[in-house]
Amino acid sequence: MKSLSFDLTVSLIAGIFVCLIVLPMLALFTTTSFGELVRQLKSPLVLSAVLISLETSLTVVFFALCLGIPVAYLLAMKDFKGKEILDTLVDLPICMPPLVAGLALLILLGGNSKFGGMLNNHGINLIFSKKGIIIAQLFVSIPFLIKSARDAFESINKNVINASLTLGASKFYTFKKILLPLARNGIYTGMIMTWARALGEFGATSMVAGCIPFRTETMTVAIYQNAMSGELAASTAVALLLLVFSFTLLLVFKSRVKI
Amino acid sequence: MGITLEKISKSYDGRAVLKNLNLEINQGEFHVLLGPSGGGKTTTLSVMAGLTEQDSGSVSIGGQDVSNLSPDKRRIGFVFQDHALFPHLTVFDNVAYGLRVRRIKGHEMTRKVENYLSKVSIVKEKGKFPHQLSGGQKQRTALARALVIEPEILLMDEPMSSLDAMTKETVRDELKSIQQEIGVTTVYVTHDHNEAVLLGDRVSVLNNGRVEQIESPSELFHHPKTEFVARFIGIKNILKVSLIEINNHEATVRISSNGPDQSVTIRVKKYPIFGKGKEINLCIHPKKIMLKREDEAVDDNLNRIRGKIVKKTNNGNGFMAIVDIGGTTLYAAIPTNFDCKVYENVWVCFAPDAPHPLCGKKCRAAETKRRCLKE
Repeated sequence: MKSLSFDLTVSLIAGIFVCLIVLPMLALFTTTSFGELVRQLKSPLVLSAVLISLETSLTVVFFALCLGIPVAYLLAMKDFKGKEILDTLVDLPICMPPLVAGLALLILLGGNSKFGGMLNNHGINLIFSKKGIIIAQLFVSIPFLIKSARDAFESINKNVINASLTLGASKFYTFKKILLPLARNGIYTGMIMTWARALGEFGATSMVAGCIPFRTETMTVAIYQNAMSGELAASTAVALLLLVFSFTLLLVFKSRVKI
Repeated sequence: MGITLEKISKSYDGRAVLKNLNLEINQGEFHVLLGPSGGGKTTTLSVMAGLTEQDSGSVSIGGQDVSNLSPDKRRIGFVFQDHALFPHLTVFDNVAYGLRVRRIKGHEMTRKVENYLSKVSIVKEKGKFPHQLSGGQKQRTALARALVIEPEILLMDEPMSSLDAMTKETVRDELKSIQQEIGVTTVYVTHDHNEAVLLGDRVSVLNNGRVEQIESPSELFHHPKTEFVARFIGIKNILKVSLIEINNHEATVRISSNGPDQSVTIRVKKYPIFGKGKEINLCIHPKKIMLKREDEAVDDNLNRIRGKIVKKTNNGNGFMAIVDIGGTTLYAAIPTNFDCKVYENVWVCFAPDAPHPLCGKKCRAAETKRRCLKE
């Protein structure tokens, strides 16, 4: 009896969790109809926001892979001075409020700073551009890839790596043929988390890139802008689309990859 | 090719694991590193492979100093305790890995892989992944993977520790015959002295980061040089004795570990070390002790000590009697035709040449030329 009541309590708590996630999503559907949703999605402004979001978030995943995998490898496989500092730096963007991250990037990349000025002199302007969106999204989302890949690298049996080395393989060959395939699932998980975080990024993005329609307006920014200007139907359409993207991609990856 | 370690030292967090270790392994030899956990066996193997960097000392393979070479440049094969197979590759691809690294492809690669798979009797499993294999099959795959690259030195770190007794016996026999067929210099780490006897051409006993004794298995087991080696290989019969008299060929000694009122003197073969000190440790292999009933006649040439059986035990290789000879206990192998009971009084008999001094000295001369064995 005791174990039955315990199971019931746990199930009830799980039910509360499901409500917490599902009810707000259902609320979105109550504000619109299917016809309205289709009409809104065909509007050039919404379509542009969707395309900008997809373009920037997928680019972020690519750059996160290029930068994050070597950092994850270093943290997982090597002992060096300053490892704890690097580890803390990886965690920092997760703890930092996105607005603070956006402000920091705005100051660094803006024309008034030395670095921003130097970039401007070379014709590179990152503020209020898609490149700025990518940098802001990368800043806040790359830790997810690094942490996930690091855990995956750390879980590999060290003797498997040593076996490859004793068979005559170089460290790079071992990385390519053993480490990457064995860490694959962890890296995929990191990619999904990074992509989801980049797609949903709002604070840092709006600080660095502003809300210029057809140029820097991402889906999250469009939701905010439309909701604030009373265009609830458009806001809901983008929000639902964002939900569908996240849900479908997670579902596809979960069915293809054992995460 | 042979392998030589000279004055190797290695510490972890200030704790010395290897202390000025010297070891010379001959070409084609099956050399066993035997010792307890924490004795430095695996670290020694790891230093040979280049997986662990020594703090000082040098490693040479075939006369060439390889101390500064990375593992991939040392031309070694390594079989790990946990097999360390690549879990995402099939048995075939695991074995082919080292060949692909060497850019050996196509027909030649397939021929070599299948040759070694058949040597270790695992051809049928070539399409399986490691998680689909039994412990013995994993072991065979790991062996084939290490051998297919035709290494100069094969290093094996307790490869059979996870196998059941029956599989272990089969794999051990196969390993020995493959090693003899190929002739590859092999260094094999184990804490199991039975494995050391059955596999090794020579055995090094490692304790506390040092080599205590290097010997052929039979010599090691019958003439251990130190108390540690004697106890580790299972010889518990260690007698502390005082010298009373030395003749041309024999010495008379008193067993000092017995109480003063239970003094026993015995005759033992004269060894060169007897001239140097009066107190010495002697060990006797349990199989060299004969138990006789009190009413049985005993040969005058044998030492005879009255004792009482205090316990009977089975060490896996047969029954042993633990006999109290007056403050000191001795282990004696019980022959199958000798039916004895606990608390029965018996004669403990052994020849004067049965006890061997634990001199603690490294033998420089070959076994056949040693004075202590000739005299």
